[in-house]
Amino acid sequence: MTDTLDIVARTVVWNRLISVCEEQANALMRAAFGAIVREAGDLSAGVFDAQGRMLAQAVTGTPGHVNTMAASVRAMLEVVPPETLSPGDALVTNDPWLGAGHVFDFVVVTPVFLNGRIVAYLAATSHIVDVGGRGWSAESRSVFEEGVTIPVMPLRRGDALNEDMLRIVETNSRVPHEARGDILSLLTCNDTGARQLTALMAEYGMRDLDDIAAFIFERSAAGTREALLRAPQGVYRNTLALDGYDSPIVLKAEMTVGDGRIDVDLAGSSPLAVRGINCPLNYAAAYAAFGIRALLAPEIPNNHASLEAIRITAPLGLVVSAERPAPVTARHVIGQALPDLMLGCLEQALPGEVLAESSGALWTIALSGAGAVPFTSLNVALGGMGARPGLDGLSTTAFPSGVGAVPVEAAEVAAPLIYHSKEFAPDTGGAGTYRGGLAQRIVIGSRHDDPLDLSAAAFERLRSGPAGRQGGLPGAAGGVEITDGTRIDDKGIYRIPAGERLILQTPGGGGYGPPDQRDPRAVARDRTHGLISDGAATNIYNQKNHQEET
Amino acid sequence: MARISIDIGGTFTDVVVDDGGRLSSVKVLTTPTAPEQGALDGVDRVLARLSLTPADITGVVHGTTLATNALIERRGAKTALVTTAGFRDVLEMRTEKRFDQYALNIELPEPLVPRPLRLGLRERILADGSVLHAPDDAEIDALAETLRGQAVEAVAIGFLHSYRNDTHEAYVAERLAGLLDPSVTICRSAEVSGEIREYDRFSTVCANASVRPLMARYLDRMVAALRERGFGGSVLMMLSDGALTTLEQAARFPVRLVEGGPAGGVALAAHVAREIGSRRTLSLDIGGTTAKICFIEDGQPRTTRNFEVARAWRDVKGSGLPVRVPTVELVEIGAGGGSIARIDRLGRLCVGPQSAGSEPGPAAYGRGGEDATVTDAHLTTGNIAAEGFAGGIIDLTPDRAPDAIARQVQAPLGMETVEAAAAGVVEMADETMANAARVHGVELGYDVAAFDLLVSGGGGALHGARIAEKLGIKRIIVPKDAGVGSAVGFLRSPVAFEWALTVIEPLEGLDVTALAGRIEGALAEVRDIVAGAVPGDRVVTAVKAELHYRGQGIDITLPLDTADLVAGLNGLGAAFEARYRAMQGFVLPHVAVELVSLSVTARERREETEPTPMPFPDDAPESESRAVFDGRAGEALTYSVVPREGMMAAPINGPAIIAEAQTTTLVRPGWTVRRMAAGHLLMERGA
Repeated sequence: MTDTLDIVARTVVWNRLISVCEEQANALMRAAFGAIVREAGDLSAGVFDAQGRMLAQAVTGTPGHVNTMAASVRAMLEVVPPETLSPGDALVTNDPWLGAGHVFDFVVVTPVFLNGRIVAYLAATSHIVDVGGRGWSAESRSVFEEGVTIPVMPLRRGDALNEDMLRIVETNSRVPHEARGDILSLLTCNDTGARQLTALMAEYGMRDLDDIAAFIFERSAAGTREALLRAPQGVYRNTLALDGYDSPIVLKAEMTVGDGRIDVDLAGSSPLAVRGINCPLNYAAAYAAFGIRALLAPEIPNNHASLEAIRITAPLGLVVSAERPAPVTARHVIGQALPDLMLGCLEQALPGEVLAESSGALWTIALSGAGAVPFTSLNVALGGMGARPGLDGLSTTAFPSGVGAVPVEAAEVAAPLIYHSKEFAPDTGGAGTYRGGLAQRIVIGSRHDDPLDLSAAAFERLRSGPAGRQGGLPGAAGGVEITDGTRIDDKGIYRIPAGERLILQTPGGGGYGPPDQRDPRAVARDRTHGLISDGAATNIYNQKNHQEET
Repeated sequence: MARISIDIGGTFTDVVVDDGGRLSSVKVLTTPTAPEQGALDGVDRVLARLSLTPADITGVVHGTTLATNALIERRGAKTALVTTAGFRDVLEMRTEKRFDQYALNIELPEPLVPRPLRLGLRERILADGSVLHAPDDAEIDALAETLRGQAVEAVAIGFLHSYRNDTHEAYVAERLAGLLDPSVTICRSAEVSGEIREYDRFSTVCANASVRPLMARYLDRMVAALRERGFGGSVLMMLSDGALTTLEQAARFPVRLVEGGPAGGVALAAHVAREIGSRRTLSLDIGGTTAKICFIEDGQPRTTRNFEVARAWRDVKGSGLPVRVPTVELVEIGAGGGSIARIDRLGRLCVGPQSAGSEPGPAAYGRGGEDATVTDAHLTTGNIAAEGFAGGIIDLTPDRAPDAIARQVQAPLGMETVEAAAAGVVEMADETMANAARVHGVELGYDVAAFDLLVSGGGGALHGARIAEKLGIKRIIVPKDAGVGSAVGFLRSPVAFEWALTVIEPLEGLDVTALAGRIEGALAEVRDIVAGAVPGDRVVTAVKAELHYRGQGIDITLPLDTADLVAGLNGLGAAFEARYRAMQGFVLPHVAVELVSLSVTARERREETEPTPMPFPDDAPESESRAVFDGRAGEALTYSVVPREGMMAAPINGPAIIAEAQTTTLVRPGWTVRRMAAGHLLMERGA
């Protein structure tokens, strides 16, 4: 075979590179310890060319890994230069500013050698359940309190594992053996991917990836450009208010839609928060770009060129561009609000095409035993998705994250908790021609009537609900309380006394279009199904006498 | 002794008679409002042809998509779900996950039971099986009143943790049965699927309840009509996992029948694999719209209990209704003869998943289809001949094929020749199918190259060689009688029944004796079910254990020796570590290994009859040849063309084409083909 492939072979190879990544991500998903990491798909896998440019990446549940991974390979190679690498070597780090935004995410990069030359790199990243520090909460005042940080270093030299590094992680982790397993799984994942890549190159007689890289980048750049041209050029601004840790936070964006590219400046957003909901810029950029691409260019694969057309910047030191040593554990609270911030800009460019605001940050339910039986339990409580032009919002479904909830039976087997109820909360979906997705109400208590500790780090949108669009009303704000009367109104740690229960009500999605334009049959159905009250049907939807139907 | 097989699909009903090893078949149109009518018409016709009467028939084996279609079209009974108070929305919340990260406008299927008919009852069992709240009689009675008022025809009962303790479900079912009209169907989640994860289990019981009245009525009608004709033998039904079961079980658990048709196709592949002694077999069935793959080991198709029916969104995983019953593990790929080739936004050639179907069909059908399809590409390269296409049923307008390829593929890609463009379309289809097999194989931990490829369907033998090359596979089998595959597969299937138990206990400290007792109990139940249709001395049992490191999602399935369950259970830890190390390259000695679940199966031991050898013809047919464009060579090669019935015992070297009515076998350069004594074709690479 020759060094240049025909169009069919190039397409086959490109598809196969994506497939290799997807396969590796699926393997990592099964290998990850912790149900919520698996449900969340809080991991990714990618293949890079010899210059460290991302060629392909798996699409997983968390867009937060997209841009971060694209940048991390080059950043790691700056620390350990490629010329010092030999076959078998692999590099590792969990530095939030080089990896995926908090110390939980480990990135492993493995060079692929062919005829004594590096032809590619494979990267894999996954959320490790515990790396010490304060564990999963927003309570740290600096990243130093959030767990052990491993600077870029070899995880393996030839066939010798860096046991020193593994021992450091094991010594610092509350679940040392699982942490070791998770890190070794990243290594296995890259090794399998490397074998498949080499087999693919042999099948097509490729000596390097230069030709295929040029093809992927050229096509992706042109496709992205064409897709972005759908939005009229101009400057669009939007602001979003969040509860913050204990005082409100403002997110600001100025979006410049240019000739086939988009530049976003987040200047004017709030300064750093006092605790760990700050977001490094790499992670903020990942979510912001996801919001733009999901609307304008959903079918263009993630790679170096397709990401380059969207640039997110911010002056350093803001809540969206935190620098070391800011605490960043719950950075998703900010990061996951950014797609709505971007969609609000694009609504001005493309009115009538953009969904309403969604419940945003994933509500992590982090409970631990404060009585005789020690345990920790992680689950998520999901709110409503914003209504879409032409479609109701999805109820109890996360957006922008693609994470699902752990089933109640599985959660109760894993920890001594009782979920007393988990049902739709009526009247929480923002009213509109198309209704926002409904929120849910969850009641949880201890199995043994023991006290429980709760981290409220991710309970966002307790003060105001997600906004509607085009005349649609906002979704209901969330609410969290303990049956002893305590209302949760910041992101700290709360004690649930013995015998009391936690009551969570997530935010509902925003509505789309004026409520009085809603199809009367849809209103009647919502009422029969108990999704809206009679009062809402009469007063908000202005529909008194319509025949009920199922 | 003759047996009859009836396969009722959405469009066609196949009836096959096996008269002492001699097969005779008829294809009739399905009669959707009363499917038994078309089937019985077919039975009458095929029996008349053989001068047999229903009284000569010793057994009927039957598979139908009736339950599946009822679920897809929501034609089931008016069903209510009685569930733990506080959890009535489990069915509608589903997994609370978007199955496509970048698609903002996804839609989810309507739940089988609407919210007003999902009724909470105060009761609660905890994760360890202990009772927090017992159900209250007065509340059950009030609930019965509501159910009567709503005139429901079926009631599904699904309580939390019933897989661990089903006494509340049983109690409520019994009390409701006494209060409701006897015609109302009542199903309990723990007896339909005894496994953890409430959404999956509730979804399964609702599906079962909603189709049960319809299926029970249908089966009654079918059996009555057969009896009326003088038939006195047994009736067995095809299950989704490629096994047969009794009418009684089928009527109780109709949700277990949903994949019966496709399972029949796999059952035939498994039978051929056993017949020719293929230990590791990859079955690939390429039809008009999709291709289906299934891994078969030691003549047994792989099964799974994760299955979805009625996918609402472009057949995407996660968009359907989960049904947790044993099902052949088929991966369906949107690539077949009717798949449309197009150029995507990035200027790349794509094939499928959109299909031209049979109406309008490929451009060459001349029925108004303008899109270039895989079939058009085959015609353009010369892989298939226009004359005698599909046994002569379809008259082609052959010139339309290269025209469509030139317009839709060659011109936009700027390729030099239309043949090269057509070869590109075939290559993309080959790649899509090969890659699906590769991905699935990796997921299962298989070395795909070590498998034999068994192809079926109209396109299987056309694509087989190139797909095998891509997967490193060296042997391909093209079976005979692939045309009515599923119905023949039913005849080759054993009676069997599988049941799964959720355990979730660490191996260390496991009460092995108690668990062995629980397994014995489950084995006795499945054995009884199978012994209802098969003499007891021909029933064999098997147990499989599923294990993982606690907290991890890599579930490893291991066989358990039924002769000594205690020893088998004690040996699981070591066996798990060995398998884990082979897959992952390391073990985690300090992490607890958990026994997740057990599945117990009773199965009929079938005597495999030696296939009757098919004679070879006395004289070789006159040699013919045609030019076929080869994408790898970049030019046309001369293929010799041999009719399948004219094949002699001597192997034929590629490039060659073996022609028959329903399909074409493409023997690419580097391959040889020979006809085996039993009539199957065996293609080998580098032989």
